[in-house]
Amino acid sequence: MSRRRVIKRDYISRIEGEAGFVVELKEGIPVGVRINVWEAPRFFEAFLRGRTPQEAIDFTARICGICPVAYQITAALAFEKIFHIEVPEPIKDLRRLFYLGEWIESHSLHIFLLHGPDFFDLPDAWSSKDYLEILKKGLWFKRIGNSILNIIGGRSIHPVSVRIGGFYSLPQKRELLRLVPEIERAFEESLRVIRWTAGLSFKDIKKEHEFVSLKGVDEYPLIYGPVISSSGLEVSMEEFITIIKEFQRPYSSALFSMISNFREDIPYLVGPLSRVNINHQFLPDEIKGLIKGLGIEFPLKDINMSIIARAIEISYAFYESMRLIKGYEEPDRASVDYEPSSGKATWITEAPRGILIHSYEVDEGGIIKEARLVPPTSQNLYHMERMLQELVKDYASESRHDTLKRDCERLIRAYDPCISCSVHLVAV
Amino acid sequence: MKRLRIGIFKLTSCDGCQLSLLNLEERLLEMFKFYDIVHFKEGTDRTVKGSFDIAIIEGSITTDRQKEEVFNIREQARKVITIGACATSGGIQALRNWASLGEFKSYVYPSVETIESLSVSIPVNEHIYVDYELWGCPVSTEAIEEVLVAFILEKRPALPLYSLCMECKKKAIPCILVSSGQPCLGPVTKAGCGALCTHFRRPCYGCFGPKEGANINSLAGIFEGLDIPERDFIKLLDKMNSYAYRKARIEGIHE
Repeated sequence: MSRRRVIKRDYISRIEGEAGFVVELKEGIPVGVRINVWEAPRFFEAFLRGRTPQEAIDFTARICGICPVAYQITAALAFEKIFHIEVPEPIKDLRRLFYLGEWIESHSLHIFLLHGPDFFDLPDAWSSKDYLEILKKGLWFKRIGNSILNIIGGRSIHPVSVRIGGFYSLPQKRELLRLVPEIERAFEESLRVIRWTAGLSFKDIKKEHEFVSLKGVDEYPLIYGPVISSSGLEVSMEEFITIIKEFQRPYSSALFSMISNFREDIPYLVGPLSRVNINHQFLPDEIKGLIKGLGIEFPLKDINMSIIARAIEISYAFYESMRLIKGYEEPDRASVDYEPSSGKATWITEAPRGILIHSYEVDEGGIIKEARLVPPTSQNLYHMERMLQELVKDYASESRHDTLKRDCERLIRAYDPCISCSVHLVAV
Repeated sequence: MKRLRIGIFKLTSCDGCQLSLLNLEERLLEMFKFYDIVHFKEGTDRTVKGSFDIAIIEGSITTDRQKEEVFNIREQARKVITIGACATSGGIQALRNWASLGEFKSYVYPSVETIESLSVSIPVNEHIYVDYELWGCPVSTEAIEEVLVAFILEKRPALPLYSLCMECKKKAIPCILVSSGQPCLGPVTKAGCGALCTHFRRPCYGCFGPKEGANINSLAGIFEGLDIPERDFIKLLDKMNSYAYRKARIEGIHE
């Protein structure tokens, strides 16, 4: 009789949303790996039909409380493309700053509250006095990210200021300038945080990955740029949506996706690790120098090292925020006027967890006819299953059952999955 | 003082209201002196068996499993508090209530057989008794703090019962409806956000749900005068608190 074994967790803690995993082993070899997404569907794409572009901005924010700005900005850009709207530079810069505020908030939450405790064998960020200083640092960083969001958007969760063509109203420069001294201190501290993450202990699970991100053109990518992959794919946003292939799993309310013109069956990875591996040349010299000094070499190939990538991006976000605030000049008008017209368009931005895709088709009055949303986490699910399989294959013989289960859970957590986001995707 | 046992639960939602709680930031550490978090999947691996002094629920009930879950929570909790539009009003996913679930499913998923979902999303308090509701999409961090502190002091939370209009008046924001004819839901909407949208010169779109006793039909009449026909008025109500606004409107008619 063959020896069967199952490693499973029904509800993974310290992730956003509800998911579990199951790995079935036969004679020590993983034969079945499943990420079970049992988060209930909410049918966003269905109820966006018949709605206005502004409603798409306000509604899609509600997909994710942690990265609403990514949804709002992506939706706005998609409609601006349909309506041939070019927003002025200061508005572009302000959107970039707004977006960076969300990176700071989201990455701080993940590094310090969700992922960090794994490296100290803690159940959470608040049960141990030894972790308190680390937690405080995270809460401080997060508060700064939220301050940027509050000033530009009114609140950090589901902000209210984004509209087609710009913003409803603009912050005054002096409000933003008030943040600079604190951001400066936080930037200095963030360099120490990079050092701290680089010094954490990692199990050596380097693998080859297909990294996918936007391509920085003359700066680290957030809102603009073609889509690029580590194996040489480079396509426009419009083209990218035509080559990803989604498929459904019976155990998941999220669809999975892969790139159809790659060799058969290649999962790809989106998120901070992909971004930094592909775009590290755009980091400022202070951060580059530190990275070099620490002996960090790109590409980083261990998913658990995503924590280092997030720390690098927080540091970059502080640095870039200071630059944007100092250079900000209040434009005369908060938004540009436009006439709606029929058409369709796709836009892709770099949400904290990776590329987020919005596609819309509207009628001549600008009312939505079709909507398609592809969040980062659903793009990573397939990759996650594959890596889980690799992990179990490599360690099944030498690790104890509980250790292996813990390592599986930690691997999934390292992706910073946003399960609430992942359950929205439409196949056309 | 013995710390109070608190459980934080998530149903169908975006996680934003739990994040509002974490947005207490440094003040969160103060809360730990009074509260022992015995269940909070998003924040900790630790789950301690036993009852709760207070159970906080985010999200709406959209599967049978969740229904069972809230029955269990109710049995184990001294007080149940629901937070956010999903829990208090069914959330934005309640827009399915006025559509065909089958059509929605097949629009989003290639194969619908394995997609489990109830055909309506309604407030948690229509499934179980809820001791206190905190409205908002998202709830404000200040409101959560007020409730947590009030519970320690065993007093009733002091949260506004008036409409958003009062917040505009307090902040001296000129009325966007009267002065510029923009379709603002402020007059029928609960205060609590701090008049964010009007501060940004946009009309209120109803994150905090209908104010008690709101005369929604009267507002519909005013909007009609602004050239906003009934079908567009319904769309203004049909957002994150669609179920609650529609219900309040009908109750207003029968009063």
